[in-house]
Amino acid sequence: MRQRLETFYTMSKKVVVEYSRYPVAFAALFAQIFLIILLFIFSTVAFAGGDQTKIQNFGGAMAYGFVANMILSFTLWEIGFSIREEQVRGTLESLYLSPANKFSNLLSRIFAVLSWTLAMCLGGLALVSVSVGGLPAHNIAQGLLALLLTTTGFLGIGFIFAGVTIKLKESAQLLVNGLQFFFMIFSAMFFPFDALRKVSPAIIDYVSKWLPVSYCVDLFRSTLLGSPVPELASWEVEWLIVVVFGIVSPLLGYWVYHRIERKARSDGTLGEY
Amino acid sequence: MAGETASRGFGLGRPGPRASLGVVWTVFVARLKIISRYKGAILLESFLPVIFAGLPILLGTAVAGDEQTAATNFFAYTGTTCPSTDAARCSADFRLYMLMGSNTFMVVSLMLWLIGYWVRREQETGTLEALYLAPAKRLYVLAGVTSYTLVRSLIAFVTAMVIGSFAFSVNPLRPPFAAAIGFLVLGIPALWGISFFFGALVMRIKEANSVIQLLQWVLAFAMGIYFPVTVFPALLRWTAMAFPPTLMNDAIRSTLLDISSIYGPWYVVLGLMLAAAWTVPFLGYAFFGVVERRIKRDQGVGQF
Repeated sequence: MRQRLETFYTMSKKVVVEYSRYPVAFAALFAQIFLIILLFIFSTVAFAGGDQTKIQNFGGAMAYGFVANMILSFTLWEIGFSIREEQVRGTLESLYLSPANKFSNLLSRIFAVLSWTLAMCLGGLALVSVSVGGLPAHNIAQGLLALLLTTTGFLGIGFIFAGVTIKLKESAQLLVNGLQFFFMIFSAMFFPFDALRKVSPAIIDYVSKWLPVSYCVDLFRSTLLGSPVPELASWEVEWLIVVVFGIVSPLLGYWVYHRIERKARSDGTLGEY
Repeated sequence: MAGETASRGFGLGRPGPRASLGVVWTVFVARLKIISRYKGAILLESFLPVIFAGLPILLGTAVAGDEQTAATNFFAYTGTTCPSTDAARCSADFRLYMLMGSNTFMVVSLMLWLIGYWVRREQETGTLEALYLAPAKRLYVLAGVTSYTLVRSLIAFVTAMVIGSFAFSVNPLRPPFAAAIGFLVLGIPALWGISFFFGALVMRIKEANSVIQLLQWVLAFAMGIYFPVTVFPALLRWTAMAFPPTLMNDAIRSTLLDISSIYGPWYVVLGLMLAAAWTVPFLGYAFFGVVERRIKRDQGVGQF
């Protein structure tokens, strides 16, 4: 356990040191988050026809969905992308020859950037709040719990994609990109699920309702907005799905990653890119 | 002495016009061969603009209650009068507005991404310095890479246009379509110039990913992919309007949808586009040259 923690600490530190060499990346991340939020706020204002209540409600729905989107986006990209970088630079095989714990190694790739992203998202929410004249924020403790479970659940997906990156190499990025946009639309990250229902109820019934990510977004958003009921299911059902997803997904994700990694090592393709 | 000899390609390799064209062609073909290994990437690029256009349409429908109200509110707020009195036609125009904006954004964004990633990849794999020792002028190498980015961007544009037209039930093939495409083509030289700026920036600050990710959203914001830049405060509006991709986007949309351009009558738009097509590539290449010389003098181009 101690070795795991030490590995996690050392490798997280290494990620922070690497990031500190590229200060523009930090500034870019900060600015990027604000720009995306501003882009959608401007759009919301344009569509609302001057109705301030609508602007506040949709600003809130969009902003909270955006937080979930950022976490998903970074967990999907960062773990796999950093593995890919090590493949390209030729350091991945040497890393696997070291006695460092593999799980800690994987987790440390996302920890620093995710912490930074969350801090930036808080800044983003403050910006939305100022722009739309106040953001609804009810049940903050429950909202944070939902966000924590959402994050661990997304980590599982990130682990799977780290494995997929080892197997598919360059093409994995395409898959991640596609998946990111798939969730963005079908898990209604920038608009309420009602918008999808208006296009076709089948989208909700046959796609959105089958994605645990949708429930994570819905639960987090509905909790903070103080909605009477979530959009997809009852409170109990949504909490159950999100808790199970938050616990099972990282375990399953790491198991899948481990299998792919072992196969690549036995085939001798770990360092190939 | 030896260094001087090497930097001049042993004094022999002074390529003539034909050899220079050969350099452009070879780089172009090499890039195409590499991307042909990743067919999925091309497919995704074609779907991305449709997704980007879908987001505001869905958001608008959710906010306004239905698409027609969203279109009415949008045109009223942005001061972009819908040319038709038919509400259904206005909804279709609203969808086409978003689709054209997203498509143009994809062309601009791809041209910048690809040049940025090219510089970064060559740096990381250690081949950028080798390229500098080759007896070929940088202009021709860059021309090869930017030609490839152009072809790839246009493939994405055309495919996304076809997919988007079916997905959003819009028909862009109206009489001004050829003129709109004309404006797109006229905007390409300016994009080349901006690509040179961008390549220099990546070479200098090295953090291609973050720069690309940031600029992608700056672009989306400044180009007005979801709304005209007239909704911005004065200073931001003028800054955005001075950006050539904003001009290109506005020219394409105003021509195709028969709405007023934010720059004025069509001949003003045409004049501005010609001016951008003429000046921006020269400025971009000059900037690339200055940055390149400074890097070569400081730490060399291979460091990443």
